[in-house]
Amino acid sequence: MAQTDVPAGTLTLMVLRTLDQMGSLHGYGIARRIEQVSGDRLQLNQGTIYPALLQLEQNGWIKGSWGVSENNRRARYYAITRAGKRRLAVEEDRWRVASETILRFLAPGDRGAS
Amino acid sequence: MTALRAFVARLLATLGIERVTDLDEEVRAHLEMQAQELERGGMTPEAARTAALKRFGAVEPMKNAYRDSRVFPSIEAILRDIRYSARMIRRGPGFALMALLTLALGIGATTAVFSLVNRALLVPLPVERPGEIVSLNRGSSHGGLNLFSYPNYIDLRDRAEVFSGLVAYRFTPIAASADGVNERLWAYLVSGNYFDVLGVRPAVGRPISEADDAQRGASPVAVVSFRYWQQRLGSDPGAIGRPLVVNGRTYTVIGVAPRGFFGTEIASAPDFWFPLAMQPVIENGSPKIDDRRADTLWVLGRLAPGVGRAQAVAALDGVAAGLSREFPDVNEKMRVVLSPAGLFGGAMRGPVFGFAGLLLVIAGLVLLLACVNLANLLLARAVDRRHEVAVRLSIGAGRIALVRQLLIESLMLSSAAGLAGLVLAWWLMRAAGAMRPPVDIPLVLDLPLDGRVLLFSVVLSLLTAVMFGLVPALQATKVDLAGVLKDSASATQRRSVAWRNGLIVVQVAVSLVLLTGAGLMWRALERTQTMALGYSTKGALEVSFNLRLQGYAPGVGREMQRRLLDSIRALPSITDAALADVVPIDLHYSRTRVAAEELAAEREQRTPVAYVGRVTPGYFRTMGTRLEEGRDFTDADDEGSPLVAIVNRSLASRFWPGESALGRRLRLGGMAGFPIASSYQGGSVVFQVVGIVEDGKYGGFSDEGAYAVFRPLAQAYSGSTSVVARTGGDVGAAIAAVRGAVREIDPNMPIGAARSFDERLSLPLLPARVTALALAGFGALALVLSAIGLYGVMSYSVSSRTHEIGIRMTLGAQPGDVLRLIFGQGSRLIGIGVAAGVVLAVLVTRLMRALLFGISPTDPITYVAVVVGLSAVALFACWIPARRALKTDPVEALRVS
Repeated sequence: MAQTDVPAGTLTLMVLRTLDQMGSLHGYGIARRIEQVSGDRLQLNQGTIYPALLQLEQNGWIKGSWGVSENNRRARYYAITRAGKRRLAVEEDRWRVASETILRFLAPGDRGAS
Repeated sequence: MTALRAFVARLLATLGIERVTDLDEEVRAHLEMQAQELERGGMTPEAARTAALKRFGAVEPMKNAYRDSRVFPSIEAILRDIRYSARMIRRGPGFALMALLTLALGIGATTAVFSLVNRALLVPLPVERPGEIVSLNRGSSHGGLNLFSYPNYIDLRDRAEVFSGLVAYRFTPIAASADGVNERLWAYLVSGNYFDVLGVRPAVGRPISEADDAQRGASPVAVVSFRYWQQRLGSDPGAIGRPLVVNGRTYTVIGVAPRGFFGTEIASAPDFWFPLAMQPVIENGSPKIDDRRADTLWVLGRLAPGVGRAQAVAALDGVAAGLSREFPDVNEKMRVVLSPAGLFGGAMRGPVFGFAGLLLVIAGLVLLLACVNLANLLLARAVDRRHEVAVRLSIGAGRIALVRQLLIESLMLSSAAGLAGLVLAWWLMRAAGAMRPPVDIPLVLDLPLDGRVLLFSVVLSLLTAVMFGLVPALQATKVDLAGVLKDSASATQRRSVAWRNGLIVVQVAVSLVLLTGAGLMWRALERTQTMALGYSTKGALEVSFNLRLQGYAPGVGREMQRRLLDSIRALPSITDAALADVVPIDLHYSRTRVAAEELAAEREQRTPVAYVGRVTPGYFRTMGTRLEEGRDFTDADDEGSPLVAIVNRSLASRFWPGESALGRRLRLGGMAGFPIASSYQGGSVVFQVVGIVEDGKYGGFSDEGAYAVFRPLAQAYSGSTSVVARTGGDVGAAIAAVRGAVREIDPNMPIGAARSFDERLSLPLLPARVTALALAGFGALALVLSAIGLYGVMSYSVSSRTHEIGIRMTLGAQPGDVLRLIFGQGSRLIGIGVAAGVVLAVLVTRLMRALLFGISPTDPITYVAVVVGLSAVALFACWIPARRALKTDPVEALRVS
């Protein structure tokens, strides 16, 4: 299956969702997790995750703090905040509605039936 | 709420309050973890590191984007933008150079004009707390006089309690001698409280005090200007107490005014201050300042603490009403009007403001054209750069960041231009300061480059950057993504073309107006060179001197004038010489009502006004004025003989059309509503006409059929006269010889003007010359700007229509058809601009009528020349791109798309 770019505006949703499920994670962990969940279908420039993390933190949806990684290295860990959880719920709803709508359009049986 | 929170986070980060997150370390950790994972998958350490980097993507752009959104744009980010902008500017040095040049010219000219406004209207008088000083003007039933009589001043001073002090002064020419140099200079005669109320303390010595002004003629003391102290008294502190000969009397120097104190009128900087009590001595008893009828003094007041203007006006109205009641015949309906001080009680404020305002508008207009041009070019570039912009937007650069970068590019250009403009303005101001206009008034011409002027130029530069940079920057970043993808002409692109076409039309119209103005002025100036003056200027010269100032009584004066004339006529370099009280062209000609004796009684109100000149025999021969009929004055026409006059042709035919005027009798002056010539004391005087001379220009170049009457100087003495003389040789040497002759008669005689006639005639042309020069300069600049603008628009049009032209040529269009296509578009713009410009010019040039010396403001030759010339230049600007269009290779053009 060919790889695609990350659809615009979806990176924040994926990051919030990841942190909500996995708890505290460092940047690399978040990037790897997104790649794994997408089944390596997404072509993610891993670096782009950092500006996204900054924006989420500035908005108060995640919180970063320094910790120690599995290989005993200093790394910055991020965790979702309560505001972040609320935001995630809103975003999830929005995407569910949007994608269901699109899918309904693409459903094979309905072609020309309306 | 969230937006506010993000803003606060950014703010804290910018201020360095929030702990710095170490992105570098985060990235290093990230890459290590990735590499380790890949190594575990079986890669060599090297390959793993390369792969990790590859997966991460470009590190530096990410860091830049990260930094940009973490904090507000830092110095560093702006420096980055400046570096980028410098690169962009270097890429198009032609554009940058043109932008710099046009903007510098525009900013420089506008700043220089502003410094003039600044000097005339904004810089306060050099006195203590200038904000409290106001000028008092006398308004009355018969128009706005600005002066007060001395008795009225004293009453105002003693009764108006809203002022902490009222000062009065008048200025007058004087003859001063120091170190063997005799000069005609200007002096203020001031009330005793002048220096005290204004708070001006002398640099050396003491000021004029109340005691100096207490008794008429009792205190011969003087304060001299700083300039005079430096140039004539050798900056010597011991100069205090030194004697100074003024108008033939000795005065004691008591003080030196502080440097930069030029008195209280911008157009009249004196070299001396005398107590007003010395006026009868200095001015020889005329005017009589103690006469309540004689309005002779300028009055300034210092508002008392806490008194506002409105309150002062109300109080003055009360005082004025009282004075009207007490002296109903003199002070009928007297009012006092306040105005800012410094321009003759506000009398000159209007004209100065008008002239400076007009110049400022013209300069601003040209600057606007320069901005328009740059905006046009940037708009064209914006359209060309929309792919680049789209790409930058899609990799995450914010629109604001893009606009910021584009604006920084504009700002860099305009700042450099502002700097260059300031240098240009400084140079222009220096040139103006060094200029000694041939005006017999001590103007204050130094134009200070003060904080206000600097601020003006800085604001102007910033404004320019926004004006020519913002619209294109917004247009450039307003990218319609779908449009760019399909590469179709989007709505924004069409809108920007409409904008640019409109701007071109405006440019063409404005340059046409300016050039028409310049053309008219040039025609008028040219005409003054060929017009019949009624005398010849070649080899003619004038040396003026004043016997009255030196204190000579009329009897002695006549004798001296005769001796002087004899010795000048004996000079080998002089072929002819005569004396006259006024020499043309001069605004100071006395003018009076004149009528044929038999007509005077019944048609008094409609009798014409004539110039009156007093001359010695030989004047017309010296001037080269043709005596058409009758005889010249002779030495026999003196005090004892019947009064005679010589009139000019226009006057003769006005009163005695078709008949000879010789022997007719003429009545001069003494009629209601018009002052009589100054030498008569009441009543009219009747003369017999003995000669008729050709018409001439007397008071100005616009004189057309003006009436003139000449009288023998011997029958109407004046102590203030000029020698007019003619030489076959060098005029400069002849002037020196005449000066020498004057000095031989009286070594202390002050000489006013000493110059050739050509030099003299340049004075009335000065306003016209300055206006013509300014209009021509700005007009040429505007024309060049429009040509460049037109060229830019047409070039762009051709390059974006290459495809279309290719198709047309493939389908068999001839070169002529292609040219028509291009020129059609260009000439439509030019045509609209020219039409609008002609209409505007007809409306605007009416205002210049006074400067045109009889050339009609709708002079067809000027209009045709300007329209043809401007169209030619404009079409040439279209021709270059059109030629490029012709060279289009159809095959190539079609392949490119």
